[in-house]
Amino acid sequence: MIGEMDPRRIRNFCIIAHIDHGKSTLADRMLEITGTVTPREMQEQLLDSLDIERERGITIKAQAVRMPFIYSDGNDYELNLIDTPGHVDFTYEVSRSLAACEGAILIVDATQGIQAQTLANVYLAMEHDLEIIPIVNKIDLPSADVPRVIAEMTAAFGFEADEVLAVSAKDGSGVIDLLNAVVDRVPAPKDNHDLPLRALIFDSKYDTYKGVLAYVRVIDGSVTSNDRIRMMATDTQAEVLEVGAFKPTMMKVPGLDAGEVGYIATGLKSVGECRVGDTITLARNGATDSLPGYGEQKPMVFAGLYPTEGVDFHELREALERLQMNDASLVYQPENSAALGPGFRCGFLGLLHMEIVQERLEREYDMDLVVTAPSVVYRVVMADASVIEVSRPTDLPNPSLLDQIEEPWLDVSVLTPSRFVGPMMELINARRGVFKRTEYLDSSGARAAGTESMPSSDPRVVIEAQLPMAEVLVDFYDQIKTRSKGYASLDYTFTGFYPAALVRLDILVAGQLVDALSLITHKDRAYYQGKALVAALRKLIPRQMFEVPIQAAVGSNIIARETVHAMRKNVLAKCYGGDISRKRKLLEKQAEGKKRMKRIGRVEVPQEAFLAILKMER
Amino acid sequence: MTLGLYVHVPFCETKCPYCDFNTYAAIESLMPGYVDAVANEITQWGAWLKHPALTSLFFGGGTPSYLPTRDIAKLMRAIYAAYDLPSDTEVTLEANPGDCSRERLQAIRRTGVNRLSIGVQSFDDNELRLLGRRHSVDQAIAAVRSARVAGFDNLSIDLMFGLPYQFAASWAHSLEEAVALEVEHISAYALTLEGGTPMEADVAGGHLPEIDPDIAAEMYNMTCETLAAAGYEQYEISNWSKPGLQSIHNLTYWRNESWLGVGPGAHGTIAHGPGAFSALPEQGVRFVDIKPPRAYIERAMAWRSGGALTADTLAGAGAIDTIELTTQAIAMGETMMMGLRLNVGVSDASFRQRFGVGIADAFPNAVNDCLKDGLLEWVGERLRLTDDLRPLGNEAFGRFIAEAMG
Ligand SMILES: Nc1nc2c(ncn2[C@@H]2O[C@H](COP(=O)(O)OP(=O)(O)OP(=O)(O)O)[C@@H](O)[C@H]2O)c(=O)[nH]1
Ligand code: SF4
Ligand SMILES: [Mg+2]
Repeated sequence: MIGEMDPRRIRNFCIIAHIDHGKSTLADRMLEITGTVTPREMQEQLLDSLDIERERGITIKAQAVRMPFIYSDGNDYELNLIDTPGHVDFTYEVSRSLAACEGAILIVDATQGIQAQTLANVYLAMEHDLEIIPIVNKIDLPSADVPRVIAEMTAAFGFEADEVLAVSAKDGSGVIDLLNAVVDRVPAPKDNHDLPLRALIFDSKYDTYKGVLAYVRVIDGSVTSNDRIRMMATDTQAEVLEVGAFKPTMMKVPGLDAGEVGYIATGLKSVGECRVGDTITLARNGATDSLPGYGEQKPMVFAGLYPTEGVDFHELREALERLQMNDASLVYQPENSAALGPGFRCGFLGLLHMEIVQERLEREYDMDLVVTAPSVVYRVVMADASVIEVSRPTDLPNPSLLDQIEEPWLDVSVLTPSRFVGPMMELINARRGVFKRTEYLDSSGARAAGTESMPSSDPRVVIEAQLPMAEVLVDFYDQIKTRSKGYASLDYTFTGFYPAALVRLDILVAGQLVDALSLITHKDRAYYQGKALVAALRKLIPRQMFEVPIQAAVGSNIIARETVHAMRKNVLAKCYGGDISRKRKLLEKQAEGKKRMKRIGRVEVPQEAFLAILKMER
Repeated sequence: MTLGLYVHVPFCETKCPYCDFNTYAAIESLMPGYVDAVANEITQWGAWLKHPALTSLFFGGGTPSYLPTRDIAKLMRAIYAAYDLPSDTEVTLEANPGDCSRERLQAIRRTGVNRLSIGVQSFDDNELRLLGRRHSVDQAIAAVRSARVAGFDNLSIDLMFGLPYQFAASWAHSLEEAVALEVEHISAYALTLEGGTPMEADVAGGHLPEIDPDIAAEMYNMTCETLAAAGYEQYEISNWSKPGLQSIHNLTYWRNESWLGVGPGAHGTIAHGPGAFSALPEQGVRFVDIKPPRAYIERAMAWRSGGALTADTLAGAGAIDTIELTTQAIAMGETMMMGLRLNVGVSDASFRQRFGVGIADAFPNAVNDCLKDGLLEWVGERLRLTDDLRPLGNEAFGRFIAEAMG
């Protein structure tokens, strides 16, 4: 045995929950109680290490950590925890984490009850045969309704009421019992350390000194530094520079044994050679069969990323390359826009992912960018029966050349208190949705008196429907929240491509077609969308020295028009006491601001305008 | 050679909510120390520049009329002693209508001040209240009358338009009243909401209506028409005068020439060009006195000038807080930015004489684009804003500055 611990004393588990139900906060308490971090090092949501995560208070990347724990019988255990993100864009991070574990702690917020991602995550965990430890969190809050939420969990998932632990991740109550339950209930990993090495790569990261770090769960065998390893899918070989564990910072260990979670420093220069989901084995006497990997994570949403006047195209390429090293789900390829010049077409997991990539480029790489309207991928069946994929509206072939266009659809489930079923159905209808069924979350065991957030007289309902992905992309989630006063939640998965009557909607600014503003839309919606889009653009394009007409067109038909009136006055006021430098600096700042805009002909168009579609009223 | 002198008076009886000038209410106790400090700064500058001639003198603020007359006299005495001040030199003092009794103005007139710039702002009492001004319309009218009686034959009034709740009709009324006073000079400024002022916060917080730029543009057009009909000539974007009675001091700024600034936060410039103070860098220099009044008093009081005037000695001189050495490109950009504000525009010949290159060669893009867009026109050898697009002056200035930035 090379590892530090007898596999029978190891437990690998992750924490799964709907967004904001307290995963990262629970991880904090566990780190504290096990003494993994000292009180001095402790800070809120410690495992959320990206600036954006800390600022937004959400987890984006799954994070692993190894904790020492003394079980109630006095024996030492090694607990490997993986904190996962709750947002639906990052569901794939959850499924990857699950494959590295034998158990999962399922959190449900005591003030909110089961939500859409709760359901989705439980099913995922079940698919992976994980032992689930259900807990109710936030019991310290006055509005917590523990019995009712427990009843809901037993009814929905068939847990026994006494299996469910009550915890406050904030004040720590119940967390020691929970850790003991992890040792009790989560099976130890199989002791396969005599078999040839097989380690599953569940994440990867690029480090300037150590090259690509593969985050692994060792399933069989063991690995130490200086071993020569082989990535089975890519057939790449590498020398192990270092193996280590997350404590929670990365710490070198002598080796990793079957059952353990840690990292392998490969010295490789490209994350592409060390793909998430691949199996690592030894170069000599390696395993013959790789582990079942992950289904490939396909980007759902595409958008163009263009440098503004001040930013260099090559700098943008470099920044994207570096970002991709730690975010394999980001894909990009160069493209050219008549209006915006050279840029990149990028694929994202969803709108939040897109927003985060943009923000990271702007903050970590100091780039000013224009992002174009997000689009889904369409499958175009050509007249000659060949099929092409189109994610950029201007790539849509001439109607005479194609047979049909297919758009991606989602299986959507909306979990809502029954009093909002009406508004939810209306929304689904308005978005071309096809209703499938509703199901009541039976909680007959619950006590009669409800709380403000969960009146007991109002049972909760899962609405299942299918919707075109394009309709869910833009502000569907916000609408769900608004129309249900925040109580309903949403989950979705991709189902397939279906034919639709789609057309390209073009936008002309001052008579000039702006390819970056074109979008693909349903024929029946084109008129309405065109109107909304030009109205939004009118507000986003600042007044210029001349009148700027903004038109929406389908083919050669103008279907909507707005005008940005000419600016009438723009002079600096009094030059007080001869402060000429200040005046000049004001104008310099203005000039900098103009640099950040894009010029379409003579018209200066700000970055936000290219995302007008997200701001338009429905 | 042009050399103005600007004296900054940082005192106001009350602070107006839109004002972000370096002025303070309730620091009257600093007045005596301030007067001595400015007097010393005036004296030291005069000595350093070897008793130069002044082409204009301006007491601004703040509220210079809030200073006791004897303090104004003290400053004037220091100025007469340290500079050559021909008797016909324009000597302006900014006055608040509330300070303008006949006796007060007579006394001020006797100190040598020969021009008043009266902060009337509006002929509507509600607007004055909104602006937080301490005077009334009646006081403003009385101030102008008293000034005449006191012997001032060169008066200017300041007006403001584009105020929250202001309608075209009330601005028309203010213009009418202004014209009826038959002053020599009128400045009319659109209100700008400066960051950090209470009024800006009120507008941002929705407690005051936002200012509609189209209505402000309308009012600006009204101003041009009304004043022209009353015999005023517009000579700058916001300034009108009876023929020949432009503000000589302010022309110094617009022509980007030299002036000294004394007092807390005052700006000065020794401009680029032949005949300037030769030890300074060729492109000229701008300098600013330290802003907080107490710090200013301490440093200005302790100053003893002497030795060569160079960029280095200037940087450490007196109450000077920062200096900025101007490059040729910046100097040219600023010359355009300021000069184009004047209706006569910028003379290509004097530009060439000053910088050794013509305007169109120095700024080929800005000049071309502005001509094409109808912002600018050549009138003889002068480049100027067109009458039609004068209200969009910033667009033109911005292009020159952008080109100067490279
Ligand atoms: N009162 C109380 N608040 C809690 C408790 N647990 C978490 N919270 C709060 O709930 C919010 C969300 O907690 P997180 O730990 O960030 O939730 P998460 O599940 O990791 O969220 P995502 O990573 O975005 O999915 C934070 O404001 C926490 O402080 C608890 O037991 N009691
Ligand atoms: S009187 Fe003039 S300087 Fe003083 S606070 Fe009012 S606007 Fe500002
Ligand atoms: Mg989290």
